[in-house]
Amino acid sequence: MNIRLLIVCALLGSASLFVRAEDGPIWTHRAAQGAVVLTANPLGSESRIAFYGARGFPEATILPYAQACGFSFGMQNGSANKLTTRLADWHAVSADGKHVALRLPEAWDMEWVKSGVSEAARIAFRWAQFQSENTFEPGDWIMGMATLEVPPSGTFRLVARYRDDKGNHEIALDKLSCAKD
Amino acid sequence: MTALPAPMPAPALRLPDNDVKPVDLAGYRGKVVLVNFWATWCPPCRKEFPSLARVRKRFKPTEFEVLAVNVGEDPDMVFSFTGTTEFPVLFDRDSKAMGAWPVKGLPTTFLVDRQGRLALKAVGGREFDDPEIVAIIKQLLDS
Repeated sequence: MNIRLLIVCALLGSASLFVRAEDGPIWTHRAAQGAVVLTANPLGSESRIAFYGARGFPEATILPYAQACGFSFGMQNGSANKLTTRLADWHAVSADGKHVALRLPEAWDMEWVKSGVSEAARIAFRWAQFQSENTFEPGDWIMGMATLEVPPSGTFRLVARYRDDKGNHEIALDKLSCAKD
Repeated sequence: MTALPAPMPAPALRLPDNDVKPVDLAGYRGKVVLVNFWATWCPPCRKEFPSLARVRKRFKPTEFEVLAVNVGEDPDMVFSFTGTTEFPVLFDRDSKAMGAWPVKGLPTTFLVDRQGRLALKAVGGREFDDPEIVAIIKQLLDS
């Protein structure tokens, strides 16, 4: 495996080069609501610059994204019901009670269009994100990156909403913090 | 894997393989085909990839095939992960082919039946030689 590949795989699987479990990446944060599981790892800026740089993003262009408070999320539907998520319904709650929204991938993509980022790089970016809207059939497992609009101060709670045929539900990841680098 | 509510014709899929030779899904009509959209940077894609070769070995090549569609990467990078495979790895460099399929994230996998229809779908990593999936493929072959 070449070094480029090592860097990019470490990026989505974990915040740093953590030991990888046999059955997938190790997550620093995990929460469950019944059989629905949400996991997250904070993402540092250097790893994101390396990842997107390898996919055609000039460093200066990707820098605002790389420096944003970002995470790799994984969500798995172990229930017997179909569920849906909208990233616009997720938010962070800082220790002082302030709510911070997530920045949708489409908002970043508008920046890339303005900056003249190549279509190939934009495609790589698009598919590496946790999508704005997802549908999880039973057994489905989706991973992707996402960023907050602004970095909350200190640790915070991430509230992720999803909907199934019984109504709306929430999973909360506690004591999250932005990566330091 | 989840059965699609009503099997629909699989969208067109004609892409170059590692040798830049075009491979067309339509050429596999009569076989059950597992179409896997993936990328090397995607951990669940990497984890499930070896199981594509394993499940392929469970069936006759005259009845079943695997097409692994890499999205947006260059063949050198992909080959450094896959090495030589017994099944075609196709390259959707601009993700236009994938855009025609009901894919919202990677990995996404479809089972295409003998009639060329999308029969089942799975989003996220799977072990494709899991007995449950092998049984589903057998069922498709027998139907």
